[in-house]
Amino acid sequence: MESVIYARGVGKSFRGGAVAVNGFNLQVEGGEVYGLIGRNGAGKTTALRVLMGLLRPDRGEARVLGCSLWEASRGHRQRIAYLSQSQQLPDWMSLDDLSRYTGHFYDHWDVSFLRDLARRWDLPRNTAIARLSGGNQRLAALAMALASRPEVILLDEPAAGLDPIARRELNQCLIDALLHGEGCTILLSTHLLGDLERLATRVGIMDHGRVVAEGVVEDWQRTMRRVQVVFPGDAPPRDFAIPGALRCTCLGPVVTALARVTDEAQLEGIRNLPGARVYVFPLTLEELFVDWFRESSPPRESKEDTNLPKDDVFLGPSG
Amino acid sequence: MGPKLHLQIDERSGVPVYRQMMDQIKYYVAGATLRPGDQIPSIRELAAALAVNPTTVVKAYTELERDGVIEKRHGKGAFIAQAAPSLTQSEQEDALRRSAKQLAVEATQLHVSTPKVITVVREELNALGPVRGGEVEPVKFAVMAGGH
Repeated sequence: MESVIYARGVGKSFRGGAVAVNGFNLQVEGGEVYGLIGRNGAGKTTALRVLMGLLRPDRGEARVLGCSLWEASRGHRQRIAYLSQSQQLPDWMSLDDLSRYTGHFYDHWDVSFLRDLARRWDLPRNTAIARLSGGNQRLAALAMALASRPEVILLDEPAAGLDPIARRELNQCLIDALLHGEGCTILLSTHLLGDLERLATRVGIMDHGRVVAEGVVEDWQRTMRRVQVVFPGDAPPRDFAIPGALRCTCLGPVVTALARVTDEAQLEGIRNLPGARVYVFPLTLEELFVDWFRESSPPRESKEDTNLPKDDVFLGPSG
Repeated sequence: MGPKLHLQIDERSGVPVYRQMMDQIKYYVAGATLRPGDQIPSIRELAAALAVNPTTVVKAYTELERDGVIEKRHGKGAFIAQAAPSLTQSEQEDALRRSAKQLAVEATQLHVSTPKVITVVREELNALGPVRGGEVEPVKFAVMAGGH
């Protein structure tokens, strides 16, 4: 069966030749929470918009629940909810107005859930959206997205502009959505990597319009390490390399690497080098992300490092 | 159950979330905060309370059941097993070693001598009062100093 969210070779450029998405591949399975991370301009928003059928890809295939949303029927589209980065609600309407109006277009519109969310988040239901604070407008949009009880939810930086309490509420709400009925599948882009450590099953790093690395969050937490080796003297020995290194920097006698350490024995060799002191630190997703993009000299032995050492980093859904 | 079980997820520890949950529940059992027959929260309750993906809770509970720490009773929920194994000596040592390793790294980076480190540890132990017979206190996963 095809993945719930499926993209293969998607490309999209904009007028003036700016390439937003290029060779974008993604497969998200039912029940997963997939976090898309990447620097600003990496193409996350365009990728989500193509998946949602809001942009037509120049090439490639993008399907959600087995169907391109560019062409899908209304019946199919209502199974999928999308929260865009910018405010898209008709802002002269109140939440109650919106619910009455939008509810007609959906088979499973859940008014009581919407009211419940409004109560939990202290959202006034009879005030025009335009008069709500930025954060509350965001929560209102999210409440509207969830009230359709979608099978798939795509969220573009849902927590942007939310205070820590609202952010926590949002996360809890996504958990609720996962626990409700048949559950759901969530794809979200975010810069808040701490949230992903709790929420996401998998994470993909986007760069230059495509997913350049992806992994099971648990696997990354268990195996990705910062390994630092300090040598006596002022430089490491010639041809020194840290086993499992994906990124490596050298500053005088100190070699620091982002490495996949699957087994402590992997570092036995370098621990036994005369005078070398080896430090191993666990990494949070955020640190991993920063290390990943830190300017670095690629490990010498892997020629294709600019294209990323896929075999090392690409881990299937099961790890 | 309930009030006794206070799990804390540290997003910055680099330890997988399900592992953190497992370890904390094991420590609670070892320290007799949780006793055989105590009910533990359902998967839904815990996922919602901690804002953690339910599959992560499922994974933690499955592993704990496999380790004989908890048992599921049909239709009633999950309970601490009657013969819940306390921490093995090697598990105790692993837990201790994790913290000790971090201390060692920090001490080295700060150029603190070994005798000084040992003195500080002894002082901290004394400050807690006499060590209770074999009881293991819940270990909080501290943040590693790396990368700042």
